[in-house]
Amino acid sequence: MSGRVFSVILLPTSECNVACDYCFERKEPHRLSSALLPLLTRRLLDHLENERIEECEIYWQGGEAMIMGPSWFADAGAVMDRAAAQRGRRFVHYLQTNLISYSAAWNDVIREMFNGSLGTSMDYPNLHRKLFKGGAEGYTELWTRRLREAKAAGIQVGVIAVLHQGSLEAGPDRFYRYFTEELGLSDFQVNTPFPGGPAKEVEGGFQLDLTELAQFLVKLFNIWITRGYKSGVSLGPFDALIDHFTGKQARLPCIWKENCSNQFISVDSKGTVAQCDCWVTSYPDYFFGNIFREPDLTRMLKTSRARRDFVERPKRLVEDEDCLSCRYLSICHGGCPVRTYSALGTMMAKDPYCEVYKAVFACAEAHGREILRRDQQGRAPAQSDVGLAQSYAKAR
Amino acid sequence: MSEEQSQWLRILPSALAEGQGERAFAAIVRSREELSRWLRNPAPGLQWLQIEGLLGDSDAWIEAAHGDSGVPLDVVLADPASEFSDLYRLVDVCSVRSVRVTIRVAPGFSKAAKLAAALRLPIRLLPSQPTAEVLAELNELLEIYLHEPMVEAPVEFFHSLLATMSGAETGSLWSILEEDPAEFRSYDADGRALLPRSGVFGSAETSFEGFVEHHLESLVDRGAECATCPWQRFCSGYFKWPDPTYSCEGVKRLFSRVKAAADEIGRDLAGRVEAKTSAPNLTGSDSL
Repeated sequence: MSGRVFSVILLPTSECNVACDYCFERKEPHRLSSALLPLLTRRLLDHLENERIEECEIYWQGGEAMIMGPSWFADAGAVMDRAAAQRGRRFVHYLQTNLISYSAAWNDVIREMFNGSLGTSMDYPNLHRKLFKGGAEGYTELWTRRLREAKAAGIQVGVIAVLHQGSLEAGPDRFYRYFTEELGLSDFQVNTPFPGGPAKEVEGGFQLDLTELAQFLVKLFNIWITRGYKSGVSLGPFDALIDHFTGKQARLPCIWKENCSNQFISVDSKGTVAQCDCWVTSYPDYFFGNIFREPDLTRMLKTSRARRDFVERPKRLVEDEDCLSCRYLSICHGGCPVRTYSALGTMMAKDPYCEVYKAVFACAEAHGREILRRDQQGRAPAQSDVGLAQSYAKAR
Repeated sequence: MSEEQSQWLRILPSALAEGQGERAFAAIVRSREELSRWLRNPAPGLQWLQIEGLLGDSDAWIEAAHGDSGVPLDVVLADPASEFSDLYRLVDVCSVRSVRVTIRVAPGFSKAAKLAAALRLPIRLLPSQPTAEVLAELNELLEIYLHEPMVEAPVEFFHSLLATMSGAETGSLWSILEEDPAEFRSYDADGRALLPRSGVFGSAETSFEGFVEHHLESLVDRGAECATCPWQRFCSGYFKWPDPTYSCEGVKRLFSRVKAAADEIGRDLAGRVEAKTSAPNLTGSDSL
């Protein structure tokens, strides 16, 4: 059995209970049928068997996943886990939700199926996440209440924040204090926005000045290093970058993987298979197939013409772009295909956030070097230890 | 020493490797079928698979990405300037088994070396007798190896050279690059042992066991620059083979750069040790 892990971003519904400005998903009133779940599970397990993979991570998203209700999840988890155990495999479940429908009724399933944790999203300031009635202000108020209820119930909550112009104007200090002091979070991450999905009038408003964005992220990185790094605050993706630059095993985000096509797929409630949730909800030309109609997921992934572009993309980038000469190639590999496609109409180019990433990487490298230098003080490496000597030379 | 008692590792074409049993060997595979055969049913003596000409075959790597046997792979790039981007095909493979990339040093080779380093793959550079153009690339790559934090996996022969210059015992360059026939012996399809990098069969007059020593002695006897070369022990005439008239000036400059880096590291480390030992003891018996 290999040590590889395969991940599936599973969208049990495309429905959503809120109306965020920048959402790129097609919201359809469609839900994954309990009757089809065993078939979906069988197809995934067949694929794991074909690929000799023992563990599959299921990232439950939407639409809004909580629309399915806690008992649906409890049943779905039991069906999937039982089938996996019978075949010597294992599913590990994660939940990403907007929290709006959270109540105490979810606590048992969150503890049992999701290991007592969930992921949610909030921006600062919140201008674009909106309730159908109540707008952004109502959303913030309700979401904050739900967050406190979940935390009071002992649930570990990680938050994703998408940056927008208002975040840049508020500045990194207020941004950081909002999440750590006002919300009391010790685990959050920042994402860059991208204009996914069919063209919308509002998209232009989410394009940020790259220099301003880079400056914001670097300052935020510095603030986190000063106030949060040693105090148990996890701020992604900075924490993973610090792990990388201090020689630890790092779990970098999917946008910087060697090749995301090797590691995950997304499946929607109708069985559509695509690279990730962004593709499955937005770009029909890049669907790989349908997991219910095609009996062999492994074969689908191997033969899909649409998937070939994802597989070939990193190769093309080192041939055609300047990625090969970039000193950060090992932690970027040209960045995110969907960010590239949604901005440029092709994925065969490097991520438009290239310069922003480089600024963040350089900042992480400098902090990593400083952390290593401090850690190495008082430790004298053996003269003959070339690996250590080499590391030392690079840390200088 | 008889073949049965030998300690060297045989590097054999796939067909010839059948029947090696428990004797240590590496099999050279050049087709998807050969790769599949050894991955599914490795013989007890199989140490690794030397894979040639398959990097561009995406289907070949699907089975290799299954970790059933764990057989290590040595993927050889004969034309690295054109093959380099195919290294991305190894991403899944190296998550389930050890993979090393062997790069024949030729113009444009550094593209493959940079990408392999970015993918955290150990690298074995086979420099042979590098031209001026290739030496420039080797120097550029050495700079990256020494100073870029992105390079995590060893790049041979730089890695062992740095170790040697730092005082470690690493053996000769022939040994490090697995070209000393006393330790690693390659065979052709007819089972004839080959001298390294020459395509020449070993003869009764050629002692495989003493090949490197004999080669170096011969160079010194002929008045080659090896006689006074400061890197003689490590190099052992590696760059004077097969053409003994090859000028080592560029190689010696490369070696000098590694030596300077090793010296600098040594000075810094010694300074740190000194600083540590001379620091006041704030927590020991003074406080009693």
